[in-house]
Amino acid sequence: MIGWEQALATPRDAAPPPAFDKESLLRGFHPDHAPGAMVPLRVGVSAGQPCPAALADLLQANALVEDVDIAGRAMREAEVLVVGGGGAGCVAALTAARAGARVLMLTKLRMGDGNTVMAEGGIQAAVGAEDSLQRHYEDTLRAGHFRADRALVAAMVQDGPEAIRWLIQQGMGFDLAEGEDRIGGHLRRKKPGGATAARLLSFRDYTGLELMRVIREAVLLTPGITVLERHPAVELLTDPHGRCAGAVALDLERREILLARAGAVVLATGGAGRLHLSGFPTSNHYGATADGLVLAYRLGARLREVESFQYHPTGIAWPPHLAGTLISEAARAAGGKLFNGLGDRFVDELAPRDVVAAAILREIAEGRAVAREGCAGVLLDTPGLEAAQPGILAKRLVTLSHLAHRAGFDPAREPFLIRPTLHYQNGGIAIDAEGRTAVPGLFCAGEASGGLHGLNRLMGNALLELVAFGRRAGAAAAEAVREDRPRGVGLTHLAEWERGLVAAGLPLDRRAPMVFPAYGNVDLAAMLRKRVAA
Amino acid sequence: MRVLTDPALRVAALADHLAVAGDGLRAALRDPAGIIPAIEAAGLRGLGGAGFPAHRKWAAVAAEPGPGKWIIANGNEDEPGTFKDRFLLAETPHQVIEGALVAAVAVRASRVALYVNPREAAGVRALREAAAAWEAHPLLAAVSAVVGEAVELRVVESSGLYIGGEETAAVASVQGGFPFPALKPPFPAQHGVGGAPTLVNNVETLAQAGHILAKGAAWYRGLGIGDAAGVKLFSLSGDVLRPGLHELPMGTSLRALVFEHGGGMLGGRGFKAVFTGGPSNTLLTAADLDVAMDFDSLRARGSRLGTGAMIVVSDGTSILRKTAEYVAFFAASSCGQCPPCKVGTFQVARLLERLEAGAGRPGDLEALRNLAALLPGSGRCGLVDGAATVLASSLATFPEEYARALR
Repeated sequence: MIGWEQALATPRDAAPPPAFDKESLLRGFHPDHAPGAMVPLRVGVSAGQPCPAALADLLQANALVEDVDIAGRAMREAEVLVVGGGGAGCVAALTAARAGARVLMLTKLRMGDGNTVMAEGGIQAAVGAEDSLQRHYEDTLRAGHFRADRALVAAMVQDGPEAIRWLIQQGMGFDLAEGEDRIGGHLRRKKPGGATAARLLSFRDYTGLELMRVIREAVLLTPGITVLERHPAVELLTDPHGRCAGAVALDLERREILLARAGAVVLATGGAGRLHLSGFPTSNHYGATADGLVLAYRLGARLREVESFQYHPTGIAWPPHLAGTLISEAARAAGGKLFNGLGDRFVDELAPRDVVAAAILREIAEGRAVAREGCAGVLLDTPGLEAAQPGILAKRLVTLSHLAHRAGFDPAREPFLIRPTLHYQNGGIAIDAEGRTAVPGLFCAGEASGGLHGLNRLMGNALLELVAFGRRAGAAAAEAVREDRPRGVGLTHLAEWERGLVAAGLPLDRRAPMVFPAYGNVDLAAMLRKRVAA
Repeated sequence: MRVLTDPALRVAALADHLAVAGDGLRAALRDPAGIIPAIEAAGLRGLGGAGFPAHRKWAAVAAEPGPGKWIIANGNEDEPGTFKDRFLLAETPHQVIEGALVAAVAVRASRVALYVNPREAAGVRALREAAAAWEAHPLLAAVSAVVGEAVELRVVESSGLYIGGEETAAVASVQGGFPFPALKPPFPAQHGVGGAPTLVNNVETLAQAGHILAKGAAWYRGLGIGDAAGVKLFSLSGDVLRPGLHELPMGTSLRALVFEHGGGMLGGRGFKAVFTGGPSNTLLTAADLDVAMDFDSLRARGSRLGTGAMIVVSDGTSILRKTAEYVAFFAASSCGQCPPCKVGTFQVARLLERLEAGAGRPGDLEALRNLAALLPGSGRCGLVDGAATVLASSLATFPEEYARALR
């Protein structure tokens, strides 16, 4: 390990990095491949699949509530229930409501309080004259190591240009190409890591925040959508035929259980970063606890590629109180370089994220990293970027500059110390091209779903996915709503689930979903104990 | 002890069945006059739920003049928690037919209707194939010779409605009409299908007959525990580790069924109650765990054995929600002939649903108590009685669960 002062004093050599074998790099240094990181699932429809141990503990747990807890509880009725208030949930709710469905949206935190707002880099869509849907499709499959579902990827890339048009119609702003007029100008396109064409559309370096701003407003202004904030779903409801028919929610303000009955349910609960797999810090917001995966799996929804997580290469390593916070890939897309403690580049900065992350972890493991106050990482050369493109930090990389300000240094003079941060759940709940899961009446969109990214997501595809599949799932859910109200709705699936746990020799006292991380000081158990006594 | 569920009887080919069974029918053919006394000595009861002594029904039909008498093997089975007849029909169709033919010989009936719920497609299919095999077999000719008429087996698909299991409704259905239950008397034994004397028995009752004739009444009676006779299929469901069909001696304790055969309570939860099939009877509670499960012992405790369905409820399950579920089933199943049943079950279901969804009012409990007192005996069949009984019992035994729903 090389000390901070020494590393700063070492001249940085802009020569291209040496070539290396990507596959052996990933096998040797990517956290997904660490020995003992994965365990096979022992119960449920995806039994046998590898899964991170911390996630498996949640997936193979018992429910938080049981039948007796839902008797005599206030019942909300809707045609489409959307669980989750991030980008995918809001897009699905909007689409279902505009298709004529009465929509109820449950959010664990507040609407928009999710990872969508943290998407900084941008959104991919093949709109350039030299670009094509085919190239976008191939880039996505290649980056995902050919493990993505081709039909889903095809659906997403085809939806791309229309998704951008739709976002603009909702009022979203996009950066325009240099020198273009505000009226009739062309969109600025950047080349994202792992792509073969300039396809990344953005709004400064807070594209997701801008997206969420307009979508959230649209949800609030659309008649037919009721939003219940601070109402995490803790279990799904089924009808006697195993069809999903709503959810059990906790009203965090009144500390009471509430039931939501619906003809169709869209899960848009996001990812699992707050499980801190293998001890990694995370870029994810506070609610990313894999709740949707837990609920859907218990009902019989298949999971895929849950063994695969994306570690974003440029998470903050120092200062420790900001550890894991994301620095946008826009910095590298704009030309920012990575250096180890010897002043050498060690990886092509625009290689796919899994490769860059593994290369950084290799530098750390092999002693070429930089250490600052006990925090190890590599350098993101913001001074070099500013020197090459004066003014870029202030004008284009606003969030990055703001982060540096919070960390107490000037990014034009001092580089960032960065290391990979747990960023994205590549797999998730298996869906088809309409967002249907294996469970009738249950749909899924956004990061909670799986199949679009294979083993590694391409930058800019997360925002596209949530728009494309939020719209698809919302439309399909509105279509699937039945004429008659679901009857005999309850928790009948839990007894069979519990018998499965017993048969597999798993403990019955482990409960999930997690809802809030343990350091959250929300005493869910106390809240649920009260429910029975009350 | 496996009698009805003996794996050797789970065969599709008639020859395979006759290789291990058939002695009952052969014995019946040798001594037709001895059948009803044997059934009486064995203590066989009606296993569809009523527990009426089988020999009395059989003797009543035997005493009526022929020709053209009917037997209906009742396999309509549609109540929540009961799943024994579908096993017998789909897995052991020959056992059921053999038993029905023993009855045909005993009462001299020539028309045997195998009355099946069409939702159990596997049972319908198995029975059709089995009936065709019997039609071509010399044993059926031997039965015809003793009966004195050509005996025909016909598979009749029922309406699939719960109400179609009631015996007069079964008669109406076999006649080709809607399964409206009729006032009794006249009983089907005197005035059944097309006016002809008709023996209506549950398929489990009939399936036992062949075994009784083959091995003797004393053997059969001895299978039961204490005063109870024979064996019974129990449909065990709910919050137990191993739900399923359990064939046990009549008179087995509830404790043995739940904790030995059922593997105990799921997740080690506390035992709260049992809804007996189906589910239209007074609830059994922890105080009843050691009661012998037979017709007389349960009746003495103010409940009923019913179809032998035992729906076990743990501390984790709401009595209110279960009661609401079952009353909703009865309300949806009422044929609508008798206004108190049609309106009463609907109102009870509506009130329970309101309570269950947290929208109940204090007056609702009193309305439920009034209905529970008012409704029994107001219908021509037992449907409304069953709904009222399960309601009254849950209100009396678990008042706190109702009170909690009102908070």
